[in-house]
Amino acid sequence: MAKERKKLKKKEGNAAKYTTRNKALNRLQIKLPEFRRLCILKGIHPREPKKKFEGSHKTYYHVKDINFLAHEPLLETGRALKVYKKKIKKAQAKKNWSLVTRLEANKPSYSLDHLVKERYPSFIDALRDLDDPLTMLHLFATFPAEASYKIPAETVNNCRRLSLEWQAYVARTHCLRKTFISVKGIYYQADVAGQKITWLTPHVLSQVVPNDIDIRVMLTFVEFYETLVGFVNFKLYHSLGLKYPPILDSKLEAEAAELYAVMRDLGKEAHEASEKEKDSNDFNSLSDTDTNHAQEPVNTESRLAESRARLASLQDRLSKMAKPEGNEKLLGVTDDDENMEEDENEDDDTRQCKALFKDLKFFLGREVPRESLLLLIRAFGGVASWAGDNAPFEESDEDITHQIVDRPTQGHIFLSREYVQPQWVYDCVNNRLLLPTIDYLLGRVPPPHLSPFVDNEKEGYVPEYAETLKRLQTAKEGKVLPLPGEEGSKDTEQFLESVVANRTESMEELRKTQKQAILEKTYQEELTKEIAGIPFSGSIQTMDRDEVDGEHVVEKEAYSHPETMDEEPPSAIAKAMMPRKARKLYAAMQIGKQKKQAEIDLLKERKRKSERKQNKKVAPEIEFQHTFESRCKASG
Amino acid sequence: MRSSEKKQVEESKKAASNGAVVSDINGVPSVPDSAREDISNATSESEDEDWHNSSSDNDGDSSSISDNTDESSDEDDEDTKAINEAMLDYMGALEERRQREALGSEEEEPRSARTEVESDSSEDEVVPSRNTIGNVPLHWYKDEQHIGYDLAGKKIKKKEKQDQIDSFLAHTDGSKSWRKIYDEYNDEEVELTKEEVDMIRRIRAGRIPHAEVNAYEPYVDWFDWDGKGHPLSNAPEPKRRFIPSKWEAKKVVKLVRAIRNGWIKLDKPKEKPKFYLLWGDDLKATEKTANGLTYIPPPKPKLPGHEESYNPPVEYIPTQEEINSYALMYEEDRPKFIPQGFQSLRQVPAYSEFIKERFERCLDLYLCPRSRKKRIDIDPESLIPKLPKPKDLQPFPNICYLEYHGHTGPVVSIAVDPSGMWLASGSMDQTVRLWEVQTARCCRVWSLDGPVRHIAWNPRKDLGILAISLQSKVLLLDLELGTSDPDEVSKLLALNPSVMDNDGDGALVTWMKHENLKALEVKHSQEVLSITWHHKGDYFTSVAPDANTRAVLVHQLSKQQTQNPFRKLQGRVVTAMFHPSRPFLFVATKMHVRVYNLVKQQLSKKLMTGLHEITSMAIHSKGDNLIVGSKEGKICWFDMDLSTQPYKTIKNHHEDIQAVAFHTAYPLFASCADDSTVHVFHGMVYNDLLQNPLIVPLKILHGHSKTGGRGILDCCFHSNQPWLFSAGADSVIKLFCD
Repeated sequence: MAKERKKLKKKEGNAAKYTTRNKALNRLQIKLPEFRRLCILKGIHPREPKKKFEGSHKTYYHVKDINFLAHEPLLETGRALKVYKKKIKKAQAKKNWSLVTRLEANKPSYSLDHLVKERYPSFIDALRDLDDPLTMLHLFATFPAEASYKIPAETVNNCRRLSLEWQAYVARTHCLRKTFISVKGIYYQADVAGQKITWLTPHVLSQVVPNDIDIRVMLTFVEFYETLVGFVNFKLYHSLGLKYPPILDSKLEAEAAELYAVMRDLGKEAHEASEKEKDSNDFNSLSDTDTNHAQEPVNTESRLAESRARLASLQDRLSKMAKPEGNEKLLGVTDDDENMEEDENEDDDTRQCKALFKDLKFFLGREVPRESLLLLIRAFGGVASWAGDNAPFEESDEDITHQIVDRPTQGHIFLSREYVQPQWVYDCVNNRLLLPTIDYLLGRVPPPHLSPFVDNEKEGYVPEYAETLKRLQTAKEGKVLPLPGEEGSKDTEQFLESVVANRTESMEELRKTQKQAILEKTYQEELTKEIAGIPFSGSIQTMDRDEVDGEHVVEKEAYSHPETMDEEPPSAIAKAMMPRKARKLYAAMQIGKQKKQAEIDLLKERKRKSERKQNKKVAPEIEFQHTFESRCKASG
Repeated sequence: MRSSEKKQVEESKKAASNGAVVSDINGVPSVPDSAREDISNATSESEDEDWHNSSSDNDGDSSSISDNTDESSDEDDEDTKAINEAMLDYMGALEERRQREALGSEEEEPRSARTEVESDSSEDEVVPSRNTIGNVPLHWYKDEQHIGYDLAGKKIKKKEKQDQIDSFLAHTDGSKSWRKIYDEYNDEEVELTKEEVDMIRRIRAGRIPHAEVNAYEPYVDWFDWDGKGHPLSNAPEPKRRFIPSKWEAKKVVKLVRAIRNGWIKLDKPKEKPKFYLLWGDDLKATEKTANGLTYIPPPKPKLPGHEESYNPPVEYIPTQEEINSYALMYEEDRPKFIPQGFQSLRQVPAYSEFIKERFERCLDLYLCPRSRKKRIDIDPESLIPKLPKPKDLQPFPNICYLEYHGHTGPVVSIAVDPSGMWLASGSMDQTVRLWEVQTARCCRVWSLDGPVRHIAWNPRKDLGILAISLQSKVLLLDLELGTSDPDEVSKLLALNPSVMDNDGDGALVTWMKHENLKALEVKHSQEVLSITWHHKGDYFTSVAPDANTRAVLVHQLSKQQTQNPFRKLQGRVVTAMFHPSRPFLFVATKMHVRVYNLVKQQLSKKLMTGLHEITSMAIHSKGDNLIVGSKEGKICWFDMDLSTQPYKTIKNHHEDIQAVAFHTAYPLFASCADDSTVHVFHGMVYNDLLQNPLIVPLKILHGHSKTGGRGILDCCFHSNQPWLFSAGADSVIKLFCD
């Protein structure tokens, strides 16, 4: 019997490598919910064996994965918890309250720290997989902590805290790159340590948890994500030389200006940290990313800290003399921020991001999404305030350059500032330039909001507004854009646009002439070759070389066409020579291409229709005028 | 009670003022002996009890005293009696005090200090009174000068009696006089203190003499009855309840040991910081995982496009009709997200699917099998093989130059004269026509008695003989175009008499003279589908697929002989051909091509085409390369030096290939098919054995129209020009020139 069994056991192949889920459950001696929980926490997922030896309807796990689970300490913890729950239940049933309280005091606890390290051995790995955690935490931060949903209030608060800490980091290091208001929520993309991290936050409205989802699954995910993001935040804050966790300003938090609350703390702590550095030279908290640069920043840091301390004391005295201190303190903090980061070796992009809203002061109306806008404005170097207590400055502040409003009309209007819709901020951020505010003014329908994640050229369809934006961008690169103060007037804008258009045209012409020159040159070369009598194998070589160049191939074909008077594209004939595999692949690719093309055609069609409709709307007016005129003429 | 008390006191005062009291006091002759005894006993017995108690003890004896006091007061005898009783009770106490004084110190102490002494002297054994006569009737001393004897045995003299007036005056003058009592036994006056009076009053009221003693204190139940209920058993407490438990002791030892060894930790463990620096300073991604399997990161969700914007460009928002049309689609084809546009940000509602989408993402993360799939991210054009440009490979037939009209049925077969001047064509309209190639003029027409299947021109230029297959007959027609002597040709085509002799039942074929044409007729048993000449022009083969073992026959024109080279054939033969220079015969069956060595009379090679059904075959002029066309539209190129597998298979036609052809001089080959196209290829064969043939598709020639489901039925190259003839089912022959 034993011999037979031994024979049956596979030693290689799919049957030895993979196991079904039920077998795994038997092996681990746990129930499905516990298995699910473990899988979620450990990041174990089913795999696809080449041959599904027990039928295609089953789920297969790798044997190594299951063995890995079997040695997980959490498995034991789970069992202990189960026993513990039983004990409590028993004690409760027997009304042994003293035992219940004693047991409750000694609840077996566990942590997921080791799982984080295990799943993400290096920090970059963790950053790479941060998209889902961040989205999840931002979602849970908005959840109602209601008992009926079985979402613990503690989790909700923790999620809120972690997401704010993350946002504070992003705002402070100016690593936010793209944002996008979609119907689903607001997307953000940040560049942290070279990793692009995209997350989605829901619109700040109450969430209704649907009935057909299993919240336990989500809570298990959130449990792990909380730990992961906590450690990531720690590492990020540590790299900035900040204390973690930051202490929130309770007053501001109560005012629902949490991000500001965290930021304030960061500002303060940064100050303290730098002070500490000054004291001890060997304290090397900053920039552990690259040890080469570590020494230099520290030195500059200490020098800066000194000067800053002097500045701060001076400012203190000044503020006591002149102004109410609350305002001034905040401004001082922001100044600190900027000084801090000036010396950090940062890439061009960061510098550009940091300077986008520099010297601009925003005031947020109470109807706009405050958290999102605060993050954006802070991340791009601006200063913002809002209507409410403990706000950094009042609405009546003279220095405010932009007030962000989202209402049909505004009662009192300050002439010194611009009243823009929130979309303006998002569009500015995506295009890295201060757009003319004329289209975004109060009460107008703003221009379409375009996704920054789309490569229009690759998609094959460029929306109209994208072209306008691109023109503006090229204009900015050419340094023709006037100072932000002047952008409001329509005349200058038009003038600008015309200038830009001229520029682009001239550029294109230049490019064309260059191309032609290249073409002529290659043609000459080929002619000489032909005269010399190089066989066509040689010509193959030249062709290969052309392919490497890539760009010129198309052009060459263009001029070869008239010579051969060939109506057939050469590729159509060459297709006959393709091996079967390639031929099928090619056909499949063509299907995809056609689908894409069909989509583009649909868009174009819709665009044309909408334009026609608009024209129609305008047309009757003109007609009426004409008839009116003619009638006048007839009568006159 | 209180009021009566007061009354008594007042009365006593009154009485005193009347003088009756005095007589009363004085008149009380003596305390009865028994009572006196009691008092002394009591005092002697109560050693360490204070005098309050002793007085209370005397309460019981009050009845015995009452008899004596009766005589003095008549009206209110009860009241006065009570007072007197009390006073007498008190006498005993006083006496005791006196004795004590006598013991302690001879001289009398002031009254104020007396109490202290009393308490101190409580330990004394027997306190004798001043008088030591004992319990004897006092009237014994009535007539004596003394009242008794003191401790020393000396007589105690009687005091001189005050006269009544003096005593009355003293009584009325002194405010305290009412408190004074005459002690007959010791012959002295005693003044009562306030407390003593109070005590007397309490006694008279029938209450406890001491005010501080509360007889009715609230009851305190010291036993805890809470939750005890009634005891189940009345059994006495067992012994074990009173001795320490052995097991408890063991348990304690255990616990102590556990604590000492650190198994039990009494103080709570220190709270570690929740987050700490988990990762070191390296910023490199790792490939290794803990379980030894490669980590497959979850695929990132697709980033949103313009259509997801809250305010997308107009062209991204579908019209109402389009949205309605989605309802008609299959559910899986339906777009999952329908773009919407909002005028301003404040109008954007919460996205109802948000949580659902996140949940589904969660499910994907832990339920979906993950595997690495290599996605080809290449330009589709790069899949197309890079070939030399056709213009470098010129000349090749490129455009339609001439059309040959005249046939009324599909042209089945065409053949070009070896000199290249003439073109012969056979058609289903039962005619064979001769065309002048350059002018497209039809020179001659031969009407035959059946549809023509195949025609083949004798490769010898000087003969001008055309072989035509007409159902089961093969005609060898003299076209009178030969350069040699016409007689020679006619002689060749004249029926050989020896053949006539051989004629019999067992013969393979019958050679005979055609009735009205200048032609020789070879009659087969079955329909002949193809004829091919040997390059020297003497031999030719005919293929009649239905004729089983006689399907392939080799005929010799000069001797007018026929032989069957195969005893047995594998499969249905499609066509057979001679090697252009060596004694080989190629026989194409449905799926294979067999090469027979005619000298050795054996199979030399079997070419595996891999095709379903071969329709045609052509041999390169050098004989080492072969192309085969098939019904699935594929051409196989065999390089016989390379292998028996096709060197290249080209799928170029959609429908059945009808014919393939090699050019004899130029490196060209072509295939024609029912899809009405002719594909022209460059097929270069190198003399160098190491270099593989180069095949380049050059041109697809269109022009014929499809008739009756058939397109182009035959094609052939001009014998010395790079021209191509094609014969279509639309009864037209076309000439394509370069």
